[in-house]
Amino acid sequence: MPDLTRNGMQCNEFDSLLTDAIDGVLSGAALDRFRAHARACNNCGPLLAEAEAGRTWLKGLTEVEPPASMVANILASTTGVDTQRLWTQARIQPRISWWEHVQASFLEPFWATVRQPRFAMSFGMAFFAISVTLTMLGVKPADIRAIDLRPAAIRHTYYNTQARVIRYFDNVRPVLELNAALRSIKRTPPAEPGPAKQKERKNDTTQQPEQKQDRNYSQAGNQLILASAPAGPTVIDRSNPDRSNLDPSSPDLPVVSVTTYRRFV
Amino acid sequence: MEDVQVVAMLVRRCIAGDSAAWEEIVQTYNRRIYNICYRFAGSGDDAQDLTQEVFIKMYRTLVSYDPSKGAFVTWVTTITRNLLVDHFRKTKQDRMTDSMDSASSDHEDAQPLSEQIPDQSAPPDAHVRQREVSETVHQALGKLSPELREAVILRDLQDMDYREIATVLRVPEGTVKSRINRGRAELARLLQRTYRQVM
Repeated sequence: MPDLTRNGMQCNEFDSLLTDAIDGVLSGAALDRFRAHARACNNCGPLLAEAEAGRTWLKGLTEVEPPASMVANILASTTGVDTQRLWTQARIQPRISWWEHVQASFLEPFWATVRQPRFAMSFGMAFFAISVTLTMLGVKPADIRAIDLRPAAIRHTYYNTQARVIRYFDNVRPVLELNAALRSIKRTPPAEPGPAKQKERKNDTTQQPEQKQDRNYSQAGNQLILASAPAGPTVIDRSNPDRSNLDPSSPDLPVVSVTTYRRFV
Repeated sequence: MEDVQVVAMLVRRCIAGDSAAWEEIVQTYNRRIYNICYRFAGSGDDAQDLTQEVFIKMYRTLVSYDPSKGAFVTWVTTITRNLLVDHFRKTKQDRMTDSMDSASSDHEDAQPLSEQIPDQSAPPDAHVRQREVSETVHQALGKLSPELREAVILRDLQDMDYREIATVLRVPEGTVKSRINRGRAELARLLQRTYRQVM
């Protein structure tokens, strides 16, 4: 720093007073001379501003927390006696009984699973199904005694239940057979010509094209078709004899009266 | 800062083999020593190791402490400073091979200093921002020369007076003041330069 004199103060004097000025212990005429030099000197003015800024930055730093295990490590590496107590305090865990251990290891996870709604619903449904089954079989839990749980008693109960079920079905068998007979009678349908004719048409062996056969379906039911007509059928309209195409000059031709029972659906 | 008689009693009890007294000393001074080491070394792990070394040395040389020569905290700080100087000398070669822009703190992700400056346009949570600013200042502090760094740490972070600092650093009081002024100004210039890069 150049040793310049400005406002009656040299730069090295300014430097020595800088800490006092920043600490706030400089006062009176010395402070006035200090400020005047800071305003006039191009080197010391910025130095004052930077030093104040740097102090502000550093004062903004907070204390950092040492690691929790550091004290124990220090004591372990120095005395090594009392550290056992500190390590114990740091690592000690409450003593738990075997039942609490079992409860924490097995029961709690099990109950946490069981308490889920879907499992509760499944258990409820299973209980309901078992209850209904036992009721249908005539088994009452109140009737179950210890003596009934002997193998002979269980066998006896099994045969009794089997006999009861067989008797039940023997009793209801006539009713079921009667119902079956009535149902079969009701199911017997009356004779219907329609489907039979359709079957005949399916078994048509005339080798006629389907369109030619269908062509006749457009004729009226009371029209007569002459057999062995040379070109096209001769139709005699009985309801209106004037409109018939039958030639009156050939009365010898045989006349075949065909009545179609065509059902149009 | 400390009751001289109480500390002297603690020291005497420690020397006599009272482990409880030693534990009380450790509990009282571990935070202070850890912070000095952390701010000087810049690394949490190094600070923990150095703090442990300081207490080991203190435990071994406790008989040499003379209350009439100065406060116990000054004696402790002197031991700490000497170990920090030794540590600095040992790790000097390692640091020379490091990048000048590399992070020196393990409390922050390995990012260059300029990348740790918070975004000025969209300030995040105030607490996070304050933490980021503290880390930035901590990084800048690590870039000061060790003489300036130890001076500003003892003065502005540990609130020691100039005489105690002069005792610890074994330099005249005027030198201490000069180092503190230069350290503060250099830190401000570093931070100003860093923030200007971001702006």
